Amino acid sequence: MFNRALINFDTSILEQIHSRSLELLSDSGIRFFSEKAVDVFRSRGFRISGQTVFFEEKDIADALQTVPPKFTIKARNPDKNICIGGGDYMMAPGYGPPFIIETSGEKRNATLKDVHTFCRLVQTSEYLDFNSSIVVQPNDVATQTAHLDILLATILLTDKPLMGSSSSEIAARDSLKLAERIWGNSNDPVMISLVDSLSPLQYSEESLDSLMLYAASGQPVIIHSSCSLGSTGPITIAGSLVISNATTLAGICLSQLIRPGTPIVYGLGGSPTEMRTGGYVNASPEDAKHTAIVTALGRFYGIPCRSQGALTESFCLDYQAGMESAMMMTTAALSGADVSLHTCGTYGSMLAMSFEKFIADEDLCGALKKLMKPVEFSEDAFAMDLIKELGTSGNYLMQRHTMKRCRTEFYEPALNTRAIHARWQQLELRDMDKRAGKVLENRLSAYEKPDIDPHLERDLEKFVEGRKVS
Amino acid sequence: MTVKTIFDAVIVFDEARVQAQTQIELDAGTDVNTILNDGLISAMDEVGELFSAGDIFVPEMLMAAEAMKAGLKILKPHLAEGQSRSKGTVIIGTVKGDLHDIGKNLVSMMMEGAGFEVIDLGVDVAGETFVETAAEKNAQVIALSALLTTTMPSMENTIKAVKEAGLETRIIIGGAPVTQVFADQIGADGFSADAPGAVKLVKQLLT
Repeated sequence: MFNRALINFDTSILEQIHSRSLELLSDSGIRFFSEKAVDVFRSRGFRISGQTVFFEEKDIADALQTVPPKFTIKARNPDKNICIGGGDYMMAPGYGPPFIIETSGEKRNATLKDVHTFCRLVQTSEYLDFNSSIVVQPNDVATQTAHLDILLATILLTDKPLMGSSSSEIAARDSLKLAERIWGNSNDPVMISLVDSLSPLQYSEESLDSLMLYAASGQPVIIHSSCSLGSTGPITIAGSLVISNATTLAGICLSQLIRPGTPIVYGLGGSPTEMRTGGYVNASPEDAKHTAIVTALGRFYGIPCRSQGALTESFCLDYQAGMESAMMMTTAALSGADVSLHTCGTYGSMLAMSFEKFIADEDLCGALKKLMKPVEFSEDAFAMDLIKELGTSGNYLMQRHTMKRCRTEFYEPALNTRAIHARWQQLELRDMDKRAGKVLENRLSAYEKPDIDPHLERDLEKFVEGRKVS
Repeated sequence: MTVKTIFDAVIVFDEARVQAQTQIELDAGTDVNTILNDGLISAMDEVGELFSAGDIFVPEMLMAAEAMKAGLKILKPHLAEGQSRSKGTVIIGTVKGDLHDIGKNLVSMMMEGAGFEVIDLGVDVAGETFVETAAEKNAQVIALSALLTTTMPSMENTIKAVKEAGLETRIIIGGAPVTQVFADQIGADGFSADAPGAVKLVKQLLT
């Protein structure tokens, strides 16, 4: 029998996942590769062995109690502030790929220029709500200071909310210093960051040091644990859920010890190991199940949650890319995810970005945002008078009611074709890649740099230049 | 011809049968080298081929390697001094700053299966450790793994350290974000996108 209600599955299962996670936290513990983090736990009297910290039920319960159910992140443009946990689904583009895949199928290293192009696309996107801190990892700038180049570009080329870097403690500190120059020294959320655990049951030093810095400054953090089913975690979804939930809960506990009330987004994922290669694959029904279940767990804990975005294993704009991306995003949207990264542009195991896929994914994001919007049941929407007036033989095309709503009532895809076959055959741009390329061109030429105080701009640039020299 | 039963048992990862058949062949006076090369090692070559073709899965390959090792254990006391099974010594590890080890472990296991002596230094391995171990073990190949773009520079540092130490050990690299272009840039002797390819690469480098 199929399970048609992934979202509303039995609460007792959630309780089981929780209690088994607590069992792991107490028996196996979590390894923290940061002495600073271990010291935080030590000072609070946690049971510790080497770098492994053990948790009791009360530690987790206390932490969960202080996590806010929702929070707002300020954007440089206050009209673009976002509220996470308020019921909307907030979307950010790809996160972390080192490569660009061109329409020819060629893979090349990403550059800072690509970062700039993606920033322009995010800024002009009708559907993306915030930026990624590594939309791609540029290969033509020094690795140690790449976070500064990316952040500066993101701040100057967009006025949507930012993500802070968590690639190292220095990168997190730099992110906070840049933000301070814009918003001053306050603990209001002005950026969100992603802290990924390692699997199984570990956190790296870079992640922990970033997490602690952001928490101390009151900045929201997405704490995300995931495993490759059958390699870095058990092959079963149930086992994967327990192992990743335990790890995420431990990270949440640390964040709340540093600063109770630190805004957190609960994240958990799981992807099959490709048993033919041992490689990581995503965008499977198993991924989508995690995506649905994480939303249920988020609600169970009363914490906003992150699901995976428009992932695919494909390397081109083919049926596979569309089908996998749509399965992942639709599941997230309809399950009630609060946040997704990777919603636009991602190819092959999150290792590459594509400008054309970005444009295509935007259509998916737009369609889903429309799908999630409640159906209007107002007096005007029921249109009773009109229906009665036209009776059994009317033509609604000629009516004012239709005219008034004809540009707003339906979702208007930027890319998907809706032409009849004869027309489509004549189309110069029959190929989706080419249609996307055309949209891309138009978008980039219509881009306008958002306003910024020139003194602030100079100040931010000087800070980055100074940091690069030091 | 009966060595074929050992070969077949490795292919279906039947550890107990590999052990039993190896013992039977030994007792029957079959040449130790024949058991080793035609039974165990050639079976792992075949496993490598089946794996490359997608016909067997990773856990099955791991179990085949375990079965092969079980046979080898029985054979070892009978291998004469200097009659080493090793085709060469490979030092392998994930570079400094990187804690990911799945890909590295796969390569390590396949190299062992192919008859190389593999010294696995684990994860987060400093350049000096590679240099010291390679010198001490007189290794022919150093294999470096990285999963993160941020730790790829550690590969370059390690290669520099090996060259500065005056070692002639060949260095190969791999990992999801690593490319042939990057390998050429940092002066690596080779790159492979997957584990069977890494084994072939080492075989090529050492011929």
